[in-house]
Amino acid sequence: MEVAVIGVGQTSFGTFPKKSLKALFFEAFQEALRDVEKGLDPKEIEEAWIGTLSTGGGQLGNQAALLCETVGLAGVSAHHVENACASGGFAFRNAVMAIRSGRCRVAMAAGIEKMTDLPRERNRLWLGVSGDVEWERLAGTNFPGIYAMLARRHMYEHGTLKEWITGVAVKNHANAVHNPKAQFRFPIDLERAMRAPMLADPLTVFDACGITDGAAVAIVCRADEARRYTDRPVMVMGSGAATDYLAIHDRKDLTGLLAARKAAAQAYKEAGVGPKDIQVAEVHDCFTIAEIMAYEDLGFCEDGQGGFLIRDGLTKLDGPIPVNPSGGLKAKGHPIGATGIGQICEIVHQLRGDVQEPIRQVKGARIGLTHNVGGSGGTAVVHIFRSPE
Amino acid sequence: MSSYVSLPIFASTLRERYRLEEPRCRSCGTLNVPARMACIECGRGDFDWEKLTGRGRVFTYTVIARGGAPTEFDEQQIMSGSLVVAIVELEEGAKVVAQLTDCDPEEVRVGSPLKAVFRKLYDQEGVVRYGYKFVMDEERE
Repeated sequence: MEVAVIGVGQTSFGTFPKKSLKALFFEAFQEALRDVEKGLDPKEIEEAWIGTLSTGGGQLGNQAALLCETVGLAGVSAHHVENACASGGFAFRNAVMAIRSGRCRVAMAAGIEKMTDLPRERNRLWLGVSGDVEWERLAGTNFPGIYAMLARRHMYEHGTLKEWITGVAVKNHANAVHNPKAQFRFPIDLERAMRAPMLADPLTVFDACGITDGAAVAIVCRADEARRYTDRPVMVMGSGAATDYLAIHDRKDLTGLLAARKAAAQAYKEAGVGPKDIQVAEVHDCFTIAEIMAYEDLGFCEDGQGGFLIRDGLTKLDGPIPVNPSGGLKAKGHPIGATGIGQICEIVHQLRGDVQEPIRQVKGARIGLTHNVGGSGGTAVVHIFRSPE
Repeated sequence: MSSYVSLPIFASTLRERYRLEEPRCRSCGTLNVPARMACIECGRGDFDWEKLTGRGRVFTYTVIARGGAPTEFDEQQIMSGSLVVAIVELEEGAKVVAQLTDCDPEEVRVGSPLKAVFRKLYDQEGVVRYGYKFVMDEERE
């Protein structure tokens, strides 16, 4: 059973002190409903998966049921998915599998995170809890430190230069300028980013994401019924997911993420395509080095050469393989649970050719990919999509 | 407050934290650091414990700026400013994450020789949690 995406919606990503968890979700859901070209009665949604780490927002348990109730879906079978920053991507995978199984016709995959209503100390706590808590975090490091150590090892083994790593941020900020829904819509220059205050050497504050509120919703259905709802269904060609040791010291190789490699291999196999067929991608650049590793994990280049793609500008909007045209996690924003679905929103618009700001539209893109990572690679999920016929 | 290791759970790992004793799998010979119930390599569960030398080398490292470490280390960062954390490749092969202490961050390199020392990690609920950190091993190249 093939699966089609028939509608997507997302809030702007940013700091919204007056928007509650419920208000954010309502906004994204309404946009997704409006995006279903020929209309969808929400009551047709049979199952819902909502990805979130539940950092802020005031609700911990039963969050999926609460959010469904908020959008008039009380009664629907709903599930909270938590796989750290990959929660959204895994929520989507669940919806895809449910449709494929034949058990339901229409399903919702969503993601949400309310982060800016927490005091700084509590945000710092949350940001460190998705690695290995007992041995990694309580040895003294949270995520900036972990990714900094991955960056250092990449530089050591492959000669990757810091300016290429930070070049990811420069590229993604340049894209976000043209994305009305992005959090940081300003360009940055490499020199300033390199000189910015150090977070965890060699990463500066410009190598990291901010703290973000946001929600995103995708509605999927059986492909053979998709035309009832839209003339522009985007097909799910492949889905892959995997896990790895949470603590990076348990891994043999620290220059890539094995879970992402496994997820990509599965997704490519299902889709019957390879890295060379991907024309646009949204990848998980929670730290700049993560995008460099993603190029290698996804097979966009040989191992160790991820930095060259930035050096040579190959992943810019007008390059042969545009990556993170939305601005990525770095500049579009990274509301943890919403991120994976936000990536899918962007790719769906890219493949339909209806990106709001034409300057960001990757012309003629027919096959797109999303890459969503949890923690420092403890979880990873990859999806491949095809444009409407 | 979640993400918290209780005293009894912490106490159950003192053999590893205080004496650097770790289990080696009887089936495949893999050293498991930290200890596991199922071997990290083959998944079986019979182990012989052995004492490690505490010698290793920097596999990768970072210097975390003030305020960038988990909140348990706030007090330490107020006194020390930055905090050096490394993945240490032990002589016996396994890797661990630990702080480097009593060292000049400028002198740390990938490959620098290290030896384990016993230090305070952090305070919680009035009880000091101790464990290993690493210092530069001046006797080795």
